[in-house]
Amino acid sequence: MSWIVTGTGAVASIGGSVAEIYDSLVAGRSGLAPLRGYDPTRFRAQVAYEIDDRPAPGVDEPLRATRWLERAVAAALADAGLGEDLDGVPVLVGTTLRELRSVELSWRDRIPFDVRDMHFGTMLRRRFGAADTHTVANACSASLYALGLGVDLLELGAADTVVVAGVDTISESTYGLLDRCYPEAPDRVRPFDKARRGMLQGEGAVAVVLRREADGPAPAGRAHVRVRSVAVNCDAHHPSAPEAKNIATVIREAHDRAGIVPADVDLLMLHGTGTPLNDEAELAALGSVFAGVHPSPYMTAIKCMTGHTAGASGLHSLVAAVDVMRQGAVPPILGLDDPVEAVGAFRMVRGTRALRPAEPLRLAQINSFGFGGLNAVAVVESLQGGTS
Amino acid sequence: MSTARTPARTPAPGTGTGTGRTAEVVVTGLGTALTGVAGPAELGPGARGGHGGAGDPVDRLTGRGLRYKDRATKLGMVAAREALAAAGLTGADGALTVPGASVGCVVSTNFGNVDTVCETVATIARGTYLGTSPMMLPATSSNVVASWIAITHGLRGANLTLCNGPTSGLDAVRWGALLIAAGRVERVLVVGVEPDNPEVRHLLPPDREAFFDGAAALVLESAGSAAARGVRPLAGVGPYARRARHADAVVAVRAGDGRDLGLWCVPEHLEGGRGSASALGDGTAGTPVHDLSELLGPSSGALGVLQAVAATAWLSGGAGAAVLATAGTGDEGGDDAAAALLFLPVAAEPYRNESSRAGSASEPVGATP
Repeated sequence: MSWIVTGTGAVASIGGSVAEIYDSLVAGRSGLAPLRGYDPTRFRAQVAYEIDDRPAPGVDEPLRATRWLERAVAAALADAGLGEDLDGVPVLVGTTLRELRSVELSWRDRIPFDVRDMHFGTMLRRRFGAADTHTVANACSASLYALGLGVDLLELGAADTVVVAGVDTISESTYGLLDRCYPEAPDRVRPFDKARRGMLQGEGAVAVVLRREADGPAPAGRAHVRVRSVAVNCDAHHPSAPEAKNIATVIREAHDRAGIVPADVDLLMLHGTGTPLNDEAELAALGSVFAGVHPSPYMTAIKCMTGHTAGASGLHSLVAAVDVMRQGAVPPILGLDDPVEAVGAFRMVRGTRALRPAEPLRLAQINSFGFGGLNAVAVVESLQGGTS
Repeated sequence: MSTARTPARTPAPGTGTGTGRTAEVVVTGLGTALTGVAGPAELGPGARGGHGGAGDPVDRLTGRGLRYKDRATKLGMVAAREALAAAGLTGADGALTVPGASVGCVVSTNFGNVDTVCETVATIARGTYLGTSPMMLPATSSNVVASWIAITHGLRGANLTLCNGPTSGLDAVRWGALLIAAGRVERVLVVGVEPDNPEVRHLLPPDREAFFDGAAALVLESAGSAAARGVRPLAGVGPYARRARHADAVVAVRAGDGRDLGLWCVPEHLEGGRGSASALGDGTAGTPVHDLSELLGPSSGALGVLQAVAATAWLSGGAGAAVLATAGTGDEGGDDAAAALLFLPVAAEPYRNESSRAGSASEPVGATP
């Protein structure tokens, strides 16, 4: 069975819509900026990829994640031509930090916060009338994991249309603890570069409308991309460090479910967080799965411009892949000046401008890994030029 | 009581009232980590808390690495270990008896890591980021309980954490059943856990008088897997629905299974009163009520899993009617939604020959082939 993405919506530091985000990615525009919502004297790191929507500089407010999610879902529904009534439509929201930033503000500053807003179902019910809603806190692979649950619902016939989303804000507790963990404060996210210092968080939300391909698109008639497979697993190895062997396993499962071989992949949206642990594990897994595939797929990693949008990052990459395949321009990995040895002959896009390969990009793999060894990998296929 | 075998087609577990492939999902093991409750059997109807299980359940954990685990993680680990052992998925040496990739894990918790998040932000406010311990980083991510349980037992299958408000525990049971129905795994450990601490109390309504601290766990398994392992199914997982109105959720699951109800595990009390059963009564008239919030305190994301354990404990004693579990009060009580899930009896003796009628789609969920 295959599924289609029939509506998309997104917000991030580099744009307030799917189109704006894509334009920034191909132009090499980063969302990196000095900290906007926290007291910078408390931290060594001083920058992040925040959405610039706070009421005043240095003043934070609750429910920003909920607000972005609302925007992304509304945009995806409008794109799908579905209207705003989600009665009977499952909505799956992947997130690492939920509204825990609001919990922090409530605990530390006594800013009022209704406990019912800790899960996103409360807003989704109020705004969209959605009652079959699920907040899936699956760390930084949450939205791609949720995509797997979404295709399962469609395959089992439990729904005809599913909205899958991801959202995350930066919490001060994670920002401070990441700062505590790295030997040097990261100045930016530069995946796979020898000078990488670690990961910096980004903010954003993303939503897609998913249907069985056989049932056709939502009323607006758009079929952005075909979802060929979503594979998920768990390292059961370490609470934060990834395991290369199990990442290779989940990539192979995604290929098997899609009925493809590694050489079929044209485009690889890397997880690429710029932490030594991730980069080494991801490259080791790719080195194993794509051994003997020359030339390799084109590879990019959008966190160098969006920051690590955590639970939203997997779907952010997927939505970006749709336009990359459609427009034929692969965004660069900013800051990848001196690749680590393991990059080898992998065709990672370097420099500050997008690469335009001569050949069409038809099949993309999206990597997404999270704390707790949560791995999710999707394979999507361009719908331009008819079915394969 | 005899089991009414309805001619209606039984929906796939966890797939609501939609059509779909039939995959029988059964419960094969239970576990608890509750102060004053010795084990799953004490969660059934008629039970009263305070009989046994003296002492803090997390004292049952020993070994290295406990210092930096939050309370929810430790409570979840105790219940998880008990359920896996009860299902025979771990042996005397504690090792898995089945391949790790065949076992998934679904955890439900709304407040599990609130303590770590609040303590950390307060530490930073008192000084700088240097006052924090890097060991606490994993616990800022809300999936930390599922993460440690998977690591402890080598569960490499799909791993989910539901933080879905009042319905979260029943949602977790449903997603566990769905992962099996979808063929992603053969078994799923489902855990519901909530800790009691000042940070959690800060988030709760100020008039709250009772507080919950504990965990419950169960093992879900395909009927085929249970049969192949020679393990007796204790209960079957029936239809699920999450709706805006509580009454609609109940109607939706009962439309998928015509059996009499023998027990109704009710949601947390409606605000300002204890009359949940009468206020939510549609479709449940006369059904004996089992109120786990009354017994244990309001358990939020753990409730649905506690209900599943209580329902299974009751059904495994030979009860022939179905158990309705509902969590979240929906429009009737001011929650965003209500979830309903049926737990079904399985044949206490070897399944009779009715199933030999070829192509019969009317087998109750959980009947052994």
